Amino acid sequence: MQTRRLWFVTLFALVMSAAGSLHAAHTVWSGLVIAQNVAQPAPIPPALMRIEETLKELFGYNQFQVIGQSTKTLKTGEEDWLASSKYFGLHVDARGETSAGYLVDLKLYKEEDLLLETETKLSKRSPLVIKGPQVGNGQLLLILVVQ
Amino acid sequence: MKTFEEKWTAWLDGELTGKELEEFEASLPDRAAAEAEKRAAHKLGVLLKQELGTEVLNNEEFFSHQIRERLARDACAQDRHRTRSTWWTVPRLALSGAVSLALFLVCAVFVMHDKNPAEQSQYLTQILNARVDAAVSPNATISIFETKEDKVTVLWVEGLQSLPADYAAK
Repeated sequence: MQTRRLWFVTLFALVMSAAGSLHAAHTVWSGLVIAQNVAQPAPIPPALMRIEETLKELFGYNQFQVIGQSTKTLKTGEEDWLASSKYFGLHVDARGETSAGYLVDLKLYKEEDLLLETETKLSKRSPLVIKGPQVGNGQLLLILVVQ
Repeated sequence: MKTFEEKWTAWLDGELTGKELEEFEASLPDRAAAEAEKRAAHKLGVLLKQELGTEVLNNEEFFSHQIRERLARDACAQDRHRTRSTWWTVPRLALSGAVSLALFLVCAVFVMHDKNPAEQSQYLTQILNARVDAAVSPNATISIFETKEDKVTVLWVEGLQSLPADYAAK
């Protein structure tokens, strides 16, 4: 009798975990990153660790410093938020969930000027990197990662 | 009215009495031969009882015996049936079905999450459109590509207005 009960509990847990994983809430990390070459590069921020090699190969810099960031947990898929630094602001406007991720509108502001605007289907498995303007001897990057 | 054969059988068995016995014995053509035959039949009967020793069952005992045998046979058959299919009881069948269904669901979820490589393109981030303020950066150009290794989608914007290092402040 107890064995049968154990079986049913295990079964229920399996089904619930499977069903739950289909609709799990996701967290989106969005950041303003200054990439530059320095003599003593600081360790890469944890949010960028999985794409560290790609960033170094693509842009040729050895340090990636976060100057503004925001971490947002999406529940409805229609939230919006802002990652900002002293001079830049990245407005992220999620406009709904798709089968593979989220539909998001991005706007990069320099103070009050709109520099760049883009509409993307952000995948849960595929980070987005946007090459922004040159800043001093470095490069501004806008990065979004679904965690 | 009894026939001669019936009376003969009854006489052999000693069942004729009184007037009927007298009339029958008087009607016998050879009384001595008949008496000899009666003795022989009696001897044969005794011999058969001794040699065969079969227990004679009356009706009640006979049916009771048959029922007991039938019950014993049925019990044996049920025992054999139970030993052959003891594990697949109805609850276990239902449980096995439920477990199979759960495994199917789990596998289906994993398959949905881990599509094969040919279908991965739809799981890459896609740039639907991108615009740069032409007034601020008139020579800006936009290109889009994906990296193979870690599936990073890159929006590469060239020609944006360069900014002084102060803008790298947090």
